[in-house]
Amino acid sequence: MEFGSIEREIYVEASPETVFEVVSSPERITQWWPDGAHYDVAPGSAGEIRFGDPEAGGGVAAFTVVDVQPPRLFSFRWTHPAGQEAREGNSLLVTFRLAPAGEGTVLQMTETGFREMGWEAAVLEQQYREHVSGWDFFLPRLAPCAEKLQVRP
Amino acid sequence: MSTGVAADIDDDLWSAVGDPTRRRMLDLLLVGDGTATTLSQQMPVTRQAVAKHLGVLDRVGLVRATPAGREKRYRVDEAQLARAVAQLTSVGSAWDARLQRIKRIAEAIQRGV
Repeated sequence: MEFGSIEREIYVEASPETVFEVVSSPERITQWWPDGAHYDVAPGSAGEIRFGDPEAGGGVAAFTVVDVQPPRLFSFRWTHPAGQEAREGNSLLVTFRLAPAGEGTVLQMTETGFREMGWEAAVLEQQYREHVSGWDFFLPRLAPCAEKLQVRP
Repeated sequence: MSTGVAADIDDDLWSAVGDPTRRRMLDLLLVGDGTATTLSQQMPVTRQAVAKHLGVLDRVGLVRATPAGREKRYRVDEAQLARAVAQLTSVGSAWDARLQRIKRIAEAIQRGV
């Protein structure tokens, strides 16, 4: 793993079927992320998600469903330029993996594509380590990311 | 309310540091100030190419220029560089918050609330 991806895991006291619905359905996704969502829960479905009021400075992001395997996996790409087909290099890929655990579900989330989009920050992170003078103020802010890092040799 | 990456991230800033040549230049400039000429002597690219990259870094505020004879002398703007890294951190925190909401919603459904 590198700095250009985000990985998270959380335990949810609900069945994989329930969690799957919450992370995948347009009606539910608006309860935890965008203010509006238009897409079909089907591989290849292209749509959009909306933040705020577009008339008042809100934003719209392209959203394309990649893979749907209820209740185990849901993935999508987003942030590609409107009108373009979502692919590696022009979008971020978000993958939810669900696994039953006891009475609940372990939900894993990864977001990748930062490197391909030119967002690789590994070098910046290394610079922090090498040029620490004056940087003490900012280093604590890196910790949440750094915990997820495997430092490259 | 903080929402999506598109709204939170300064795309120009990130594409500026996304280029390996420009990152190498930032690396060299963190060691000490430089001009297009001095940087090109330390890298396998022409002075013209270096000058062009410096222009990109300058536009997003990652470097600051001061006149030095016929050239410009550049140094890294450390606050802006820190901002670039802090933005990536904020992407991670945004997902933490979203996942907490997912958990709350799913557990409420399960309890039949």
